[in-house]
Amino acid sequence: MQQRIGKRDLILYAFMVAVLISIWLAMVQIDRQWQFIALTQEKLDDQTRDIADLRRQFRRGISVSTETAGAGDPNALPDSWRGFKRAVAATEMPDYARGDWLVYSFSSQVPSLTPYMSGDAYASSIQQWIIDGLVTRDPVTLEWLPHVAESWNISEDGLTISFVVRDGVVFSDGEPLTAEDVAFSWRFVMDEKIAAPRARAYLSRIDDVTVDGRTVTFRFTEPYFGSFSLAGNLGILPRHFYSKYLESVAAAEEYNTSTGLLLGSGPYRLPSPTAWKPGDLIELVRNERYWGWVPAPFDRRIWKTINSDAAQLTEFKNGGIDVYAALPLEYRDLTQNEEIMKRTRSYEYYNPRGGYSYIAWNNLRDGKPTAFADRRVREAMTYLTDRERVIDEVLLGYAQPANGPFNPLGKQADPSLSVRGYDLDKAKALLAEAGYLDRDGDGVLESEAGEPLAFKLTYPSGSDNYKRIMLLLKDLYVQAGVLMEPDPVDWPVLINTLNTKNFDAVSLAWTSGFEIDIYQMLHSSQTEPGGDNFISYINPGLDELIETARQEMDEEARMAIWHQVHREIWAEQPYTYLFRTKSLIFADRRIRNVQVVRAGLNEGGLWNMPMEWYVPTDAQKYSD
Amino acid sequence: MVNYVIRRLLLIFPTLLGITILVFAVMAAAPGGVGASLLSRSGDLRPEERAAMERYINERYGLDKPMPMQYLRWLNNVSPIGFRKDENNEDAGFGFKVPDLGMSFAKNRPVTQLVAQALPITLLLNALSVPLVFILSIVMGVYTARFRGQALDVGIGTANLALWSIPTIWMGVLLIGLLASEEYARIFPTSGLESLRADRWTFLPVVTEQGWQRGYLLDVVWHLVLPIVCLTYTGFAVLTKLTRSAVLENLQADYARTARAKGASERTVLWYHVFRNSLLPLLTVAASILPGMLVGSVIVESIFSIDGMGRLVVEAVQLRDREVVLSITLITSLLTLLSYLIVDICYAAADPRVSFE
Repeated sequence: MQQRIGKRDLILYAFMVAVLISIWLAMVQIDRQWQFIALTQEKLDDQTRDIADLRRQFRRGISVSTETAGAGDPNALPDSWRGFKRAVAATEMPDYARGDWLVYSFSSQVPSLTPYMSGDAYASSIQQWIIDGLVTRDPVTLEWLPHVAESWNISEDGLTISFVVRDGVVFSDGEPLTAEDVAFSWRFVMDEKIAAPRARAYLSRIDDVTVDGRTVTFRFTEPYFGSFSLAGNLGILPRHFYSKYLESVAAAEEYNTSTGLLLGSGPYRLPSPTAWKPGDLIELVRNERYWGWVPAPFDRRIWKTINSDAAQLTEFKNGGIDVYAALPLEYRDLTQNEEIMKRTRSYEYYNPRGGYSYIAWNNLRDGKPTAFADRRVREAMTYLTDRERVIDEVLLGYAQPANGPFNPLGKQADPSLSVRGYDLDKAKALLAEAGYLDRDGDGVLESEAGEPLAFKLTYPSGSDNYKRIMLLLKDLYVQAGVLMEPDPVDWPVLINTLNTKNFDAVSLAWTSGFEIDIYQMLHSSQTEPGGDNFISYINPGLDELIETARQEMDEEARMAIWHQVHREIWAEQPYTYLFRTKSLIFADRRIRNVQVVRAGLNEGGLWNMPMEWYVPTDAQKYSD
Repeated sequence: MVNYVIRRLLLIFPTLLGITILVFAVMAAAPGGVGASLLSRSGDLRPEERAAMERYINERYGLDKPMPMQYLRWLNNVSPIGFRKDENNEDAGFGFKVPDLGMSFAKNRPVTQLVAQALPITLLLNALSVPLVFILSIVMGVYTARFRGQALDVGIGTANLALWSIPTIWMGVLLIGLLASEEYARIFPTSGLESLRADRWTFLPVVTEQGWQRGYLLDVVWHLVLPIVCLTYTGFAVLTKLTRSAVLENLQADYARTARAKGASERTVLWYHVFRNSLLPLLTVAASILPGMLVGSVIVESIFSIDGMGRLVVEAVQLRDREVVLSITLITSLLTLLSYLIVDICYAAADPRVSFE
C-alpha cells in the first residue's frame, strides 16, 4: 500500500480545490445570467403589452392633453401639479440631462425591503423611491402639495379627510393606481396577520377608509393634529400585487418572511419586484412608466453595503461612493483635504428627522421619590450641564444646544426661550435651596438626612463620543459637589432598565420631525408599563396642555399651545435637553443642483420629493 | 471497531442536549429581552412603536412562556421526531416530521435560509485559506527542521512569530488603507466579493473592443486576495512549529538513521521516510478544521463586508436572536463531534499501534 503524500499530491489537491471552486462560481454566474435573461424577457413582455395598448389607443384616435405636453415653464404648471414645480424648474436649467447613476453606501445590511417588514431607516430610505404617498411637501415652505392626490378636503371637526386620486397614475407594472389601492394599503397594514405592529401603532388612529369613485375618505377616531400627515403619507401599495398575502395565515407568513416584495408607483423600481434578498446589491432602476410630470433623472440608484468605517471612507476617497455621510472628525479632516474637495462638495445642515439627545431624570425609583423629583435639582443639573463645551470639545462644533423637544426648524418651538448656559453659582444656589449642602465638609453635597447627592447616569455603550461626553459631565458635576458615575450598558439591557424604571438618570435620543407629539414621553398616563414616560414625570398642567394641543386642528392656535408646552417644559426641566447634531454630507461635484433647504437636502427626506438633482451629460460617469 | 463507533454515535445525543441546554441557559440569563434589540440599532428611539413592537414579538415567538417550556418548544421543532403541527398550526399527533431550525426574531426569516446564504461564502473563504495555511506551514516546518539553527530557521521562525502577533483587525484596516486606497496604491478593492457590474460579465477574462475585461472568475479572485491574506497570516506560526518539532524528532529516530545507513540520500530520508510519520500530530489539529470551516471569522468578514457565518452568529448573539444562536450551535457541535469521531478512526488507520478493540 503506497500511502505517500508527496509534493505532487499537494499540488494535485490544490488544483482540485481550485477546479471545484471555479465550477461552483461558474454555476453561480450562469444562474445569475439566467435571472438576467428572465428579467429581460419580462421587460420585453411589458413593452409588447404597452405597444399593444398604444396601438389600441391609436385606433380609437388620440387626444393630446394639454396638461401633460412637455415639461415647460414651472410657473405655468396646472395647479394640481404644483408638487412638481421645483423639479420642473430643475429641468429648465441649461445643462440638465438625464442619465448616470447615484451610488450611496450603507454601513449595515438591510434585512428586508418588503414594506413594513424592517424597522430600520435604511429600508425606508429605499422604499420612498418606489412607494408614493398621496401628498408631498415643499422642502422650503413646508406647505403640503398634491402628489398622487390632486386635491383634498378636511372636515370642520378634523375627523374626516378625503383625497381625490389623480387620473392616470400607474404602478411600475403598468396597472392603474386607484382610490381602491389607497384603501387597501390601510387595510393591509391593519390586518393582524401582517407583522407590522410598528405601523399599526400609528395607523390605528384611522377608524375607517372608504372609497367613492376617485375619492378616498379617511375617518379618524379622534381629532389629532398629525391626522393629515398620517393619511397623506400612507404608502400606497398595489392591491393586485399584495392582496394575495391576506388570503390565509400561510400566505401572510410568506409575506412576513419575505425580503424583497416591493412594487409601487414611484420614480424608481426594483429590477424584479420579488427577487431581492439581503446580501444582493441594492439597485433601483428608473420606472419608465412613472406617472409624474418629471421622470427620474438618474438611470439607477445603487446602495453598496460596506460594514467597516475604514473601508467605507477609503471607498469614498477612491470615488466609489457619490454621497457620503461623515462623522465630525472625518468631516473636519476631509474638508481640509484638497484632493477630496476638488472632487466633492460638502454640506452641513440640521436634519429634521435627526432628533435630539437628552438626559432624563428619574422621579420615582422603587416607589420612593428621588432627588430629581425636585424641580430645583433638575434645573441645577441643567445649569451644570455645559452643553456649549460638550459641543465644542466632543462634537467639534457640529451641533446646536437644545432647550426643548421641539425642532427649531419647525414652528412648534417658542423662539423666545433661551438655552441655559453653564452657571455653577446658580446651580449651587438652587441645590442649597432644595436642601443639598456640604454638611460634613468632604466636598460632596448631602441632603438633610445626610444622603450624598450621587447618582448613576445610564447610557448606551459602544459609542466613543458618548463616553467622552459622560466623562466630561462627570467632571462638571463634581465641581458642584454632585457625584455622577457613568454607567454604559448594552442596548437590550438598557431597554430592560427603562421598562423596570430601575435607574437614576438615563441619556438617550428621540427621533424628531417638524411637528412632533410628546404625549408618549411626558404625559402622566404614559407612566404605565409600555408607555415612554419612564421617568414617572407627572405634571397635570402639562398633561392638559398636551391634550388640547393634540386635538387642536387649527395650525396657528395649535402652535400657540405648543409654545406654552415648550415654556412649561423649559421651566420644569423634566429632561435636560442636550443637543441636535448636524448632518455632514459630501456629494460628488458632478451632481448638480444640490441645495441645503429647510427639510435638509433637496432630495429624499421625510416624504416623496420629486427629484431635483442631475448630472450634466459631459460629467456623467456611469452608463448601462 | 463497529461497537466503538456505535457507542460513540449514541453518546452524541446526550452531549448535544447538554450543549444546547447550556447555550439556552446562557442566552436566557443574559440581561435584556429578545425584543428589545429589534427596536433600534442606532440608539434612536421612536416613541409609540416601542410597546407595540415588544408586545408583538413576545406573542409571536412565545417569549412570555416559562423558560423550560421555551426550550422544549425549540427542541421539539428541531427534532426529527416529535409533536407535529398541520398547516393551520393545529396539533397533529406525535411522529416523524421535518426538523425546523426555527426563525430569526431579528431578521424575520427562517434560520435555514440565513445559513444557506452565509455558509457557501464562509466555505469558499475557508476552502482556500485552510489548505493554504496547511501547505505553506508544512513546507516551512519541514525546511526549518532540515536547516535547524541556520539563518532560514531563525528567519522563518521570527517572521511567523511577528505575523502571529499582529492583530487581524489592525492588519485588515492597514491593508485596505494602503493597498486599496487611491492615496497610496489602489491594487485591490475595498470591500465585498465582486465588482458593481460583475453579474453581467462573462465568466472568463475576455478582450473586447473597449479593452480587457477581467471576467467574473478573476474578479472574485481579485476580491478574495486581501481577506484570504488576513485569514491566513496568523495561522503559520503554530502549525510550522508543530511540523518542525515532529520532523526533528523523527529525523533523530532510529529508522531515519537506518535509512541513512542503507545509503538513502538525505532528501529521500526527509521526504519519503520522516515526512509521512511527522504528519500524525497535524491530524489532531485537523480535527478542529471541519467545524472551524463553518464558523468563519467575524473580524475579517466585518472589515471586508463579507456576509459569512461569523457575522451571522455574532450579530445574532448581540441581538439576542436565540433561535439562530441555538440552531447554529446545534449544527456546529454536531459537526465537531462527528469530526472528532472521524479523526479517531483515522488514527487507527494511520497508526497501527492505536486500536479500539
